[in-house]
Amino acid sequence: MAYKRKQNRGETPKLDMTPMIDVVFQLLIFFVVTLKQEDILSKLSAARPAPDKDADPTKQPDPTTIIVCPQGFLFNGMPLRIDVLDSKLERVARTSKTAMVLIKCTGDSPHKFLIQALDSCNKHGLLNLSILSI
Amino acid sequence: MGKTRTEQCEMDMTPMIDVVFQLIIFFVVTLKMTSDINQDILLEDGKHGVTITEENRPPSTLEIELDRFGIITIHNARLSQDMLNTILRNRVNKMGNQFPVLIRADYRAKHEQVKMVMDICTQRGIWKLSFVAIQEHKAEKK
Repeated sequence: MAYKRKQNRGETPKLDMTPMIDVVFQLLIFFVVTLKQEDILSKLSAARPAPDKDADPTKQPDPTTIIVCPQGFLFNGMPLRIDVLDSKLERVARTSKTAMVLIKCTGDSPHKFLIQALDSCNKHGLLNLSILSI
Repeated sequence: MGKTRTEQCEMDMTPMIDVVFQLIIFFVVTLKMTSDINQDILLEDGKHGVTITEENRPPSTLEIELDRFGIITIHNARLSQDMLNTILRNRVNKMGNQFPVLIRADYRAKHEQVKMVMDICTQRGIWKLSFVAIQEHKAEKK
């Protein structure tokens, strides 16, 4: 009895897979085409000095100060390009990684320069960063 | 004679259908129909920052977007300064000021506009801020 049933099932007509495969391929192509790759993002952390603890950055013995202005960067009063600033920061990092770096930004400087300065600090492992708006 | 030929040609479709279904499910799951970020914002490169991954971006993260005209948005919804202030106040009341804040500012934005956002955060006692930059370009350029 059981044997007979098995044989019957084996002879049931096969389902036509062609339309399903067509549709499934269409869907697959649609999803492949609409897939968008996204940029890998990074975050650059910095602190803002609290106004009530305003003495903090000055308490530090001579914090490294970078001034960001619309034309570029000022380091120790000297105008610099980003690559020169980068080598200066490397020297700072060699003496102390925990040294505080104070980044002072003027209001009309583009945000781009702040990011470049932060990125350069991150590159050399300087993580004690403060942003001050002037 | 003819019968044996048709039987030889029949291919087993099952593994292919399995794979194709797997692929479809993968694409359906990874598909994002609407983007919840402001597409007008172009970011500056920051190769040396900490990579943003699912792990170090907890759900409590607040991402504030700032375009080049100084317009503030969160999840592509435009906000005024007062509204951002209210949102931050409610958030700080609910979960303290320890949640991460990401500022996604356009590279062409002026610092005074970024300062405005930072000032609103500091008013609510959030001193630690992070800026979003691009570590690696993957998306095709517009």
